[in-house]
Amino acid sequence: MKITPAGVVAAEWTKFSSLRSTWVTTGISVFLLIAFGMIASASVSDDSLSSVDLALSGSTLAALAVGVLGALLGAGEYTTGMIRATLAAVPRRLPVLWSKSLVAGTAALVTMTAGAFAAFALGSAVLNDEVGRLALGDDGVLRALFGAGLYLGLVAVLGVALGMLVRSSAGAIAILAGLLLIVPGLAALLPDSIADTITPYLPSNAGSAVMALTHDDGTLGPWTGLAVFAGYVVVALAATAVRLKKTDA
Amino acid sequence: MIQVREVTKRYGAKTVVDRLSFEARPGQVTGFLGPNGAGKSTTMRMIVGLDAPTSGDVLVNGKPYASSKAPLHEIGVLLEAKAGHPGRTAVSHLLALARTHGIPRARVDEVLGLTGLSAVAHKRVGAFSLGMGQRLGIAAALLGDPAVVMLDEPVNGLDPDGVLWVRNLLTGLAAEGRTVMLSSHLMSEVSLIADHLVIIGRGRLLADTTVADFVTAEGVRVVTAAPDALRTAIAGPGVTVTSTGAEELLVTGATARAIGLAAAARGIPLFELTPQNTSLEEAFMTLTHNAVEYEAAR
Repeated sequence: MKITPAGVVAAEWTKFSSLRSTWVTTGISVFLLIAFGMIASASVSDDSLSSVDLALSGSTLAALAVGVLGALLGAGEYTTGMIRATLAAVPRRLPVLWSKSLVAGTAALVTMTAGAFAAFALGSAVLNDEVGRLALGDDGVLRALFGAGLYLGLVAVLGVALGMLVRSSAGAIAILAGLLLIVPGLAALLPDSIADTITPYLPSNAGSAVMALTHDDGTLGPWTGLAVFAGYVVVALAATAVRLKKTDA
Repeated sequence: MIQVREVTKRYGAKTVVDRLSFEARPGQVTGFLGPNGAGKSTTMRMIVGLDAPTSGDVLVNGKPYASSKAPLHEIGVLLEAKAGHPGRTAVSHLLALARTHGIPRARVDEVLGLTGLSAVAHKRVGAFSLGMGQRLGIAAALLGDPAVVMLDEPVNGLDPDGVLWVRNLLTGLAAEGRTVMLSSHLMSEVSLIADHLVIIGRGRLLADTTVADFVTAEGVRVVTAAPDALRTAIAGPGVTVTSTGAEELLVTGATARAIGLAAAARGIPLFELTPQNTSLEEAFMTLTHNAVEYEAAR
């Protein structure tokens, strides 16, 4: 009998899979991704948007939903008192954060990648005639779909980090929604010269770049964007790791 | 073996635990007593590293807890009833803890059986009563077959059957050579289980003693002009008389009324006849009186 990294990951998977709320939230995330993708594909025609962009229209709401999933997993440890049992079993503490992030991130990555492909297939089936049809083999399509899975997987990790950082579900969800939805809106209020410079680097704009088929001057390249978003996630994880290690549980 | 060495815990200006030292040894049940707010739970959290001491250190089986390769095998703890996600079943809760150490599923079923929870293993923890929550916490504490078992207020919320069960369980664990420590704010509860007593108040050690030493003998204090005559007058089976001064006797096994009647029948003058009712509970109250954190206004 010994504590092992694989054991801690297995334990976090048990926690993840044994709650109804995780399955419900995951299901809602996939549903939002597919449903909004189909609605946009059927009804929106805009020259600047390809059929892939339309199929992934649900990604903003899906990001919020997987972020909530992560936040509930992270903050739930504290709101339920489970954290004391968890840390008494794993007194080194940090393996809990890494394992929980890995489990939530992988689960979101797998389900959201599948969701992105489903949204593309179903969106193409109901696509309105004004928009040009794309196939999986076309330039950038696979990158955008896998990119959606990667971005949403990282959002789930961000949710876990925020949940364990602020230790409250409501607080973590508020910060998450603020970062992903409200900050880009606020940036638009800044003078143009400043807004143009920082807007591409805001978390949701940077992360979404990997899903966009076409890029203009105002957005980052796909992998640069994803790397910037991953940077935010790393910063959040680092802050959480420090708080987890240094403060009383 | 738990060793608490000169441990202090401060939250801002408030000192919750103040240079506390004691040991809980294998093969014994150590009762950890103190009024509410005395610092018992904080001390127990520091033992398993959930709270870091401001100064001093704690060793579990001779080493800091966090350095252990198999923490659940070193010490099993119950820190509060209902420490678990209400949406998870009892078996999933235990399984999540067990998997960290590669403890097999069979052991989970075993501790569920041991704590009488087999029938509700697949019920959500949120639907559990306080008593069932306590049993689940004890099940979690026993999961890793630990050398030390530490329980915070384990009999809270248990019915009389449950209290008896905990008593037998803990004395059994100590008889197997394990270190057992339980906290309580009720002396009566602990005196039946514990061998060794550690009593704290306002974070300070008030007494580190045994139950036998802590008990003040009950009896009747008699002050009389003729102690020898009184001894003869009240002699009988079960009556013991000890001399506590030139004219003073401490009598056990006879009531104050019987002593008074016997003295009157023989014309022995009594100056004082006082029942000594110092129970364990009262001795505890006396000891902790000045160290009560939350006292009702009077």
